[in-house]
Amino acid sequence: MIQREAKSALRVDELTKSFGGELAVDSVSLRVEPGEIVALLGPNGSGKSTLIGCLSGRLNPDFGTVSIGDATFDRLQPRTAFAAGLAVIYQHFSLIPSLSVADNIFLGEEQRRRSGRVDRRNQEKEVQRILDQLGISVDPRTPTVSLSVGQQQLIEIAKSLRRRPHVLILDEPTASLGEQEARILGEHLKRLRESGLAILYVTHLLKEVFEIADRVTVLRDGRVALSRPVPELTRSDLVHAIAPAPRVEPPKQRTARRPGELALSLSQFSAPGIGPLDLTVNHGEIVGVFGLLGSGRSELLEGMFGVRGHAHGEILLEQKRFVPKSAARSLKSGLALVPAERGRQGIFATLSARDNVMLPYLAELGRPWWRNRRREQAEFVKTGEDLRLKPLRASSQAWTYSGGNQQKLVVGRWLTQQSRVRVLMLDEPNQGIDVGAREDLYELIRRFAEVDGRAVLFTSSDPEEAVVLADRVYVLARGRIVGELQKAEIAPEQLLHLAHDMEAAA
Amino acid sequence: MSSRDRMLSTMLGKSRGPALYQPTKTLTRWVRFGIRNAILVGLIATIVVFAILTDKFLTVANVRNILVQVSYTMVVAVPMALLLISGRVDLSVGSTLALGGVTTGLLITSGVNPILAAAGGIAAGAIVGILNGILIAYLGFSTIIVTLGGLTAIRGFVLTISSGPLLNFGEGFLEFGAGEVAGVPYLVVLAAAVLLVGGAVLAQLPNGRHIFAIGVNEEAARLSGVRVKRVLLGTFVATGAAAGLAGVMLAARLGSAPSGSMGVGFDLNVLTAVLLGGVAFAGGRGTMRGVVFGVLFIGVLENGLVLLNVSSTVTQMLTGLVLVIAAGLDVLEVRGAGSVTPRILDRADDASRTEREEAL
Repeated sequence: MIQREAKSALRVDELTKSFGGELAVDSVSLRVEPGEIVALLGPNGSGKSTLIGCLSGRLNPDFGTVSIGDATFDRLQPRTAFAAGLAVIYQHFSLIPSLSVADNIFLGEEQRRRSGRVDRRNQEKEVQRILDQLGISVDPRTPTVSLSVGQQQLIEIAKSLRRRPHVLILDEPTASLGEQEARILGEHLKRLRESGLAILYVTHLLKEVFEIADRVTVLRDGRVALSRPVPELTRSDLVHAIAPAPRVEPPKQRTARRPGELALSLSQFSAPGIGPLDLTVNHGEIVGVFGLLGSGRSELLEGMFGVRGHAHGEILLEQKRFVPKSAARSLKSGLALVPAERGRQGIFATLSARDNVMLPYLAELGRPWWRNRRREQAEFVKTGEDLRLKPLRASSQAWTYSGGNQQKLVVGRWLTQQSRVRVLMLDEPNQGIDVGAREDLYELIRRFAEVDGRAVLFTSSDPEEAVVLADRVYVLARGRIVGELQKAEIAPEQLLHLAHDMEAAA
Repeated sequence: MSSRDRMLSTMLGKSRGPALYQPTKTLTRWVRFGIRNAILVGLIATIVVFAILTDKFLTVANVRNILVQVSYTMVVAVPMALLLISGRVDLSVGSTLALGGVTTGLLITSGVNPILAAAGGIAAGAIVGILNGILIAYLGFSTIIVTLGGLTAIRGFVLTISSGPLLNFGEGFLEFGAGEVAGVPYLVVLAAAVLLVGGAVLAQLPNGRHIFAIGVNEEAARLSGVRVKRVLLGTFVATGAAAGLAGVMLAARLGSAPSGSMGVGFDLNVLTAVLLGGVAFAGGRGTMRGVVFGVLFIGVLENGLVLLNVSSTVTQMLTGLVLVIAAGLDVLEVRGAGSVTPRILDRADDASRTEREEAL
């Protein structure tokens, strides 16, 4: 540890980190002043996670220093980072559902009375103080399981505040939050900023940058592509910095659709948590289901896919009656699902990228029960190029890929040449991926739907996504369809208006 | 200084300034190899030590002896490894082995053709596998509870159908246990065949990848169209049938089928060998190559200690210790490569590991 004078709350100097000869973070410098929110933006694979890893002490940088307050480090341990006043909040929650808010916040550092018993009263008083500071009205004795995801995220922040850190790093905190909850979180962060905390906020949503950040740093290919105060910037500045070739173009009216031919239709469909509802998807069409958190988005798709208990009502898939029974049968009938939770339901973390994509086709590519690795490899490379997978390394385990590229692996599973999927369902397709990868993904989805007779049904809680991707949108609230908008009518305000009104009215 | 220069100076160990890079790549590589292949290193070391300590160890007769001794374990360790990789386990294989041996014995002594009787023994094991598979994969019972219950219940069943030891199996059947082809005992040939089939399933058949996929992420496997229940059922049936087969082999070798003592402790022996071979108890990781080394290691250790007149209680102690040490090395490695968080090993390295894991 080298002592040096530094006045920024967090200062990163020329940080460099490589993996197996490839530079993931390349001479990145960054500073966050007390009372400032800096947004860290960047496409997937740009080095965001690696940078956070170096800051939190999970990874050791090859070069460069990290200064927290007055202390400068050339390598950090998670414990020393913590002790120096740096707190990191990851996407995944570390709360124990059955414990109360206060118990969770004091987990591992319980305050004891002289008798050795946990001093609950004192803990609760302290927790109340932190919650008041954050402006959260939750009883410290509530079990965390009964809180909403947004509230849990706030409790997670409260937990890190107990140590009174100087620097707070949030890694995509809104990834699992709905629109409304994300906005509330932003308000709380602004309040924390007033108390002099320095906040580094990792995100992939441009909107959030303008809503809460004072300054923004954009990473691309491991380097700082842009670092400026937010008021000086426009939206397109950021888009340019993230994806230099302006790929974000206004969605063109696609002509491939042939309305009238139904790929999928539901009538009086119901499954646990949703319905009854009617819904149709035409050939060549990309249909969105817009809904807020808890509206039944996943329940709808999983119910149709046959992995969520008994479904009732009639489903016609390619004009044939279809009864959802199991994932394997649905796939055989040409219906595929890209689930919402990539980590838990989509990706095989320790299998190779190739296996992740080709898993459903091993028998077909073989002869027929003996695998043919050469063909697996060839097909994987072909698909990988289509997906713009980065890096295109077949044998790398999936967890080594960035979030966006992992998502490409999961979606790519149904976009290979072997795929016989006719109707592709995607549950929140843009979860945890950045602007650049999102455009890639949308392009893939559009191309999928253009092939004769195919169709796409996706859910989203992001109005922008619905606007950009969908030809037609259903609005879902409380498990029912409360509105249907044609392409020309789809607008964020309209969607949010419908969804919120119905949530409130019901 | 450009980043490329930095990379170079890093590699050459000439870095200056705050970077604390230690140029010990070659050493680390060997250490890593040692940790990853601890069981191979241990096996070779044990063989060398025994070869030095006693001249009876490295003889043709003794090697053949060791191979026969490990053949029963090998036959069951192969499907057991598949079960573990899929995130399941079968603790009842010892009792199932007894069931296979005793069933065959009863059939032979009541005049059934030895080949049919052997098939009956294997079938009895397979039925146990079907029950395990239905209860666990289809009805969602706890793996440990079902197979632990099986361990006791099947033993009780075996003792009920045959209270005393069965003898007089006839020449033909005993020839299967004692005979050899080109100097290699039938039992060893059989074990090698099972190993080849298991290795092929794991590396070459789609089902092998499905087993891995289930062990890594069962939910994702289901959503990808893997018929999870069916694959698990198949794996349980294979394990049960293999245990039945091991019982037939043992009965043929011993010339008897003692219902009370046959296969007692066999389950943990198999499990130890498989875990020593680097198969993860939590599933999703393992190789047949490792299983071979694990099985051989235990066989060599037991045999060598017997030759040295070391008490079998000491052998037990050593085997247990070795398992814990191996598991410790495994933790070190997992913490390094990490199924979730990378720490010590870097990414490129891990990529090559996947390749290696695929090679049998």
